[in-house]
Amino acid sequence: MSIISKHGGETLQVEQIAKSFGGLSVFQDISFEIKPGALLGVIGPNGAGKTTMINTISGRLQLTSGRVMLGNKRVDGQSVFDNAQRGLVRSFQQTANFSGYTVEDNLISALRFSGQDRIILKGLLPLLDRFGLLENWNRNAEILPYGLQKMLGLTMALATKPRMLLLDEPAAGLEKSERSNIDIYVQYARDEVGCGVMLVEHDMDLIKRLCPEVIVLDGGRLIAQGEPHEVLNRKDVIDAYLGGADEEEGHYAQHS
Amino acid sequence: MSSSMTELPTTQRAPFFGIYEKVTLALLLLAFAVPFITRNPLILSQTNLILIAATAALGVYIMLRMDLMSFAVPAFMAIGGYTVAILGIRSGITNVFFLAIAAFLVSALFAVVLGSMILKLKGVYFVLVTFVLTEICQLLLFEAGSFTGGSNGLVGMPAVTVFGFELYENSHVVLVTTGLAFTGFLITAIVTRALRYEFAAIEKNDVLAESLGLACWKYKAFAFAIAAGVSGLAGFALVNMLMTAHPTSFSPLSSVNYITYAIVGGKGSILGTLIGAAILVSATEIFALRGELSPGLYGLLIIVMTLVAPGGILGLAQSLFHRLRSQIGKTTETKNAIQSGGNVQ
Repeated sequence: MSIISKHGGETLQVEQIAKSFGGLSVFQDISFEIKPGALLGVIGPNGAGKTTMINTISGRLQLTSGRVMLGNKRVDGQSVFDNAQRGLVRSFQQTANFSGYTVEDNLISALRFSGQDRIILKGLLPLLDRFGLLENWNRNAEILPYGLQKMLGLTMALATKPRMLLLDEPAAGLEKSERSNIDIYVQYARDEVGCGVMLVEHDMDLIKRLCPEVIVLDGGRLIAQGEPHEVLNRKDVIDAYLGGADEEEGHYAQHS
Repeated sequence: MSSSMTELPTTQRAPFFGIYEKVTLALLLLAFAVPFITRNPLILSQTNLILIAATAALGVYIMLRMDLMSFAVPAFMAIGGYTVAILGIRSGITNVFFLAIAAFLVSALFAVVLGSMILKLKGVYFVLVTFVLTEICQLLLFEAGSFTGGSNGLVGMPAVTVFGFELYENSHVVLVTTGLAFTGFLITAIVTRALRYEFAAIEKNDVLAESLGLACWKYKAFAFAIAAGVSGLAGFALVNMLMTAHPTSFSPLSSVNYITYAIVGGKGSILGTLIGAAILVSATEIFALRGELSPGLYGLLIIVMTLVAPGGILGLAQSLFHRLRSQIGKTTETKNAIQSGGNVQ
């Protein structure tokens, strides 16, 4: 039961997109689809092009080729704020809030900028409570612990009433005990808000737990797609993560 | 998920105008009384200068809300001032309300056109381009002789009128200046309060603001237009006081003064702009008694101010007040504890 109506979200269709900076190709020929309420995990070593992909889909960067559709509206090449108004909303890898503002003022900002009503916050109440944001309601967001700031940023994205959420490493930097918050968050977005979710993440446990389907990016190419258990046991995927070319990544994967 | 709290915390709604806005507007209302209290020409002219400087500095204050430092104030003052002079001399329009609206709108209109070009710039690039803009404006005022009077300026302005009464006396001029300053401060207070979330978001994290759906450029353009309009009002007041529009009144270097007023006064609030202008304009007057040392003393004051009080005079007063209050709080706590026989920590 939720005050946010199940408006169903919109399908995100990514069709053969490519991005290069001058002669340097970041990624190419990537296609996938995320239906309302669905969840797609995106994994790949550092430098695989995951964040750049979020930047292009959300509109911050121009695509070199291909197209992105939200419902029946073409969204690539549109401005970030127009896309956000349409419901294509992203989160950030780092903590993202307005410093010097209280938790409440941060959430009010999210409501104002997306044109939503305060009633949305009532729907988000269980999340705000669970994440510990309610007890810090009037505290300056800047001085909150990292984990709380991160959850605040994510909840602000949800307060815009998204139709499609692009999450850029939501669990990065969270304590192990805090990571279950991401499970609850994603579940809420899918079931209560009804929007599709694209989850870029390095935490393989989280990916296995949450995602019915993942795609693997390596060197800017989509090298595998399917169920996490099956895909993560493939030799080329293991090589991409643990191979000699990317030692730092092996280190990262061990931590998660 | 168990929910221990089922209601959103109710927060007291802050009133539209904060204490600083109220104090500022009240001080400006008091300024209306000055010409009725004294006829001292020195005080009258000082009131004029302070209010014009403060109104002009609002153009800086508004843009600082979004972390943009603008050197363009003299350019928009010139547009407002020359608009009024041309309307007065060429068309014989003297109605103060009409002239104020014209000064505001023409300046704002120029800002909308220019803003579409320069508001994409950030940081030092924005600063640099606004400075160049003022230089170009200065050059145009000198060169477009047939329109602006060139290096002679536009002289022989008729006195402005309100409901048919001519406002020609010294004391009348103060009233006009105060009226324009009050209008400028009221507009600035309303705009910066109504859009405080938007301006703060652009200042703190514009990437995040856009990703939440805020069209940052629209708010920047609007703020730039308002800042220009208010500067235009200051230009009107200046031209009205001098009874002539001359390029040297709008020198590019004067933009540094307006920035200084806003920052030294305290860029955190609108009251800082008024305080900064009042103190620094008075300081200039006092230092002028020392002749050639004057610019040096002025510079020294600014250096000391920035080192001692990065939050401006108002920020300094605020932190002193808080320290004092917590000191008093501690003392009473201790007293109470002693009286009740408890342990003093």
